[in-house]
Amino acid sequence: MPINQDFEAQVTDVTADVGQVARSASDAGKDAAFERDALPWLDDVYRFALSLTREESDADDVVQETFLRAYRSWHTFIPGTDCRRWLFTICRNVFLRSRERQRPTVDLEDGEQDAVAAGSVYAAAREKGYDDLYATLDLAPALREALDELAEPFRSAVILVDVEDLSYESAAEVMGVPIGTVRSRLFRGRRLLQEKLVTVAEDLGFHTTGQFGAR
Amino acid sequence: MSAPARSQLQDIGLSATCAEVLHHLWDYLDEQITPSSAERLRAHIATCTTCRGYEEYQECFLQAVAGLRQELGAPESLRQRLAERLKGQGCGCWDKVRGK
Repeated sequence: MPINQDFEAQVTDVTADVGQVARSASDAGKDAAFERDALPWLDDVYRFALSLTREESDADDVVQETFLRAYRSWHTFIPGTDCRRWLFTICRNVFLRSRERQRPTVDLEDGEQDAVAAGSVYAAAREKGYDDLYATLDLAPALREALDELAEPFRSAVILVDVEDLSYESAAEVMGVPIGTVRSRLFRGRRLLQEKLVTVAEDLGFHTTGQFGAR
Repeated sequence: MSAPARSQLQDIGLSATCAEVLHHLWDYLDEQITPSSAERLRAHIATCTTCRGYEEYQECFLQAVAGLRQELGAPESLRQRLAERLKGQGCGCWDKVRGK
């Protein structure tokens, strides 16, 4: 091999080695950050995925795809920001894409109608003596079932804000909608849940005496 | 609040003030209203048994929903599958997925 060619080959080898070291260091940093920032949220993402899919096997698929995408796209995650919110956003997008449908649209409302309707539900519940049913009965199974029956946009809003304790702002980012839409979907979801639970209470024969306004 | 909504609430026995509390209670509980508005609602609720009952009712409901979070976590079978797939992607921390 000519001297110049040999020298070039060595330089190429050294460059390749340096590149390998640099890449490995980068990968190690990425892995460490992924382990630290993303993996702790596996349970939360699973819970959210399950609330969306309502099927454990489907939730498994959505969660796996969510974390694989998160890992592949880790360079787009901004360190120091809310990784759980970022993962929820990916999770919801994976779910929507898996269903091969357009992002659901719900009429934008100001929430007044649902807030007022919730008051009517309460009034009716109180007249029937159901106003303390949440404090008296273990409604968790019925609540979970009622939540599963909600249409996706309302279910997501309730899960994100009321179960996962995200702010309206964070939920809006996850759902890709304005904050006002989160609020209207949340109120609708809560109102529908309360209507369903009063029905469950009636079916269970839950009854105490009580009159609206006479507490 | 719109006139029909106020009328609807008054029809079920609520005063105009109580109707306003009911209308904004979720915003109040979610801390989505201004501090001054929150203080106004808080002052009314403190003196009104009807609104206090409604606040307790909604607080209990929200606590019940929040309680769903419980300890429902990713099953071990999912962790195993995800670990294998991350390993296939060259992820160096794939073994951290398995087990809690």
